[in-house]
Amino acid sequence: MMTIEDFTHFIEIYGADPNRWPIDSNKSIKGFLLDNTSAKKVLAEYQELEQRMDSYGVPEFRGLEQKVLKQALPPQRSSLLAQLLNWIIPKEASNKQLWRPAVAACLPLMFGIVLGNYYSFGIDTVIDEYDYWEGEFAFLALSDYSEGMINE
Amino acid sequence: MTDEELMQAICNGDQDAYQTVVKQHLKSISHYAFRILDDQRETEDITQEAFLKLWINAEKWQPEKAKLSTWLHRITHNLCIDYLRKHRNIQTQENVEEENEKRTDWRDSHADGEEERLQELRLKTAVNSLPENQRSALMLCHYSGFSNKEAAVIMNISVKALESAIARAKRSLRKQLSDANSAQSEEKA
Repeated sequence: MMTIEDFTHFIEIYGADPNRWPIDSNKSIKGFLLDNTSAKKVLAEYQELEQRMDSYGVPEFRGLEQKVLKQALPPQRSSLLAQLLNWIIPKEASNKQLWRPAVAACLPLMFGIVLGNYYSFGIDTVIDEYDYWEGEFAFLALSDYSEGMINE
Repeated sequence: MTDEELMQAICNGDQDAYQTVVKQHLKSISHYAFRILDDQRETEDITQEAFLKLWINAEKWQPEKAKLSTWLHRITHNLCIDYLRKHRNIQTQENVEEENEKRTDWRDSHADGEEERLQELRLKTAVNSLPENQRSALMLCHYSGFSNKEAAVIMNISVKALESAIARAKRSLRKQLSDANSAQSEEKA
């Protein structure tokens, strides 16, 4: 249930112009206003206040547009990625700067080589000789040679 | 051209696009700055700086987060607040002198019977006496026509805090103006 305090707070927040009221509360506010003299009085007071507020004049800024447009524009600030891309592939590319894309292309390759040299990533390429023969002997011991000897 | 297209062109260094944006937003930006600073010269400086920042940082605008006008007002708001904070002491001294001038004007206008001018002067004095955040909230929502949500984004505060600031500002204005009117009625009587 809306009270006159709720209504006043609503008018303070959203203003006295019904066009600026939120659509979802528009109906309930207008309904409350319909037969409430105090609410109508509050609304009229705030409408008067807002009308007075509209009298706050602003001087004319002659020549400001020209001042803004004529000021020297400094270089634009771009993101780190854009700066990096611009360094690798400069907009005004010349043959002297060809080493930059070449270096950029070689860097991942070199990085891969270095990384591959230091880390095995779980792939064990070195076979432990002792462990290998140990296993072989164990398998040989399981073979039954007696069957072959009987047949002979 | 849409705002996105204009800003993309500005990112590519297109000065014609920059000119279009300046023409579109100059009035609202200068008016907002003036209502916060209440000084014509400073307003011009801040407006120039705001558009310069737009040019330099064009790439930082994110259309999915805020409209161009909201972003530009945020830049202007921050510049105005920085200015007020830096020059607070000077401003206070100037304010005292200004207030004296205003009082003299007030008496003159009163003597001439210029009721409208008097009302405007009272309103300006009342608005300028509001705390910084209340004044900004009022300016953005009432004069610049931003929604409460957009104004909250510009001021970098929550919607609740913004709504509280507007409510306080209006209550304070209402009280100050009605007190001034009562004083005037008593004087007449």
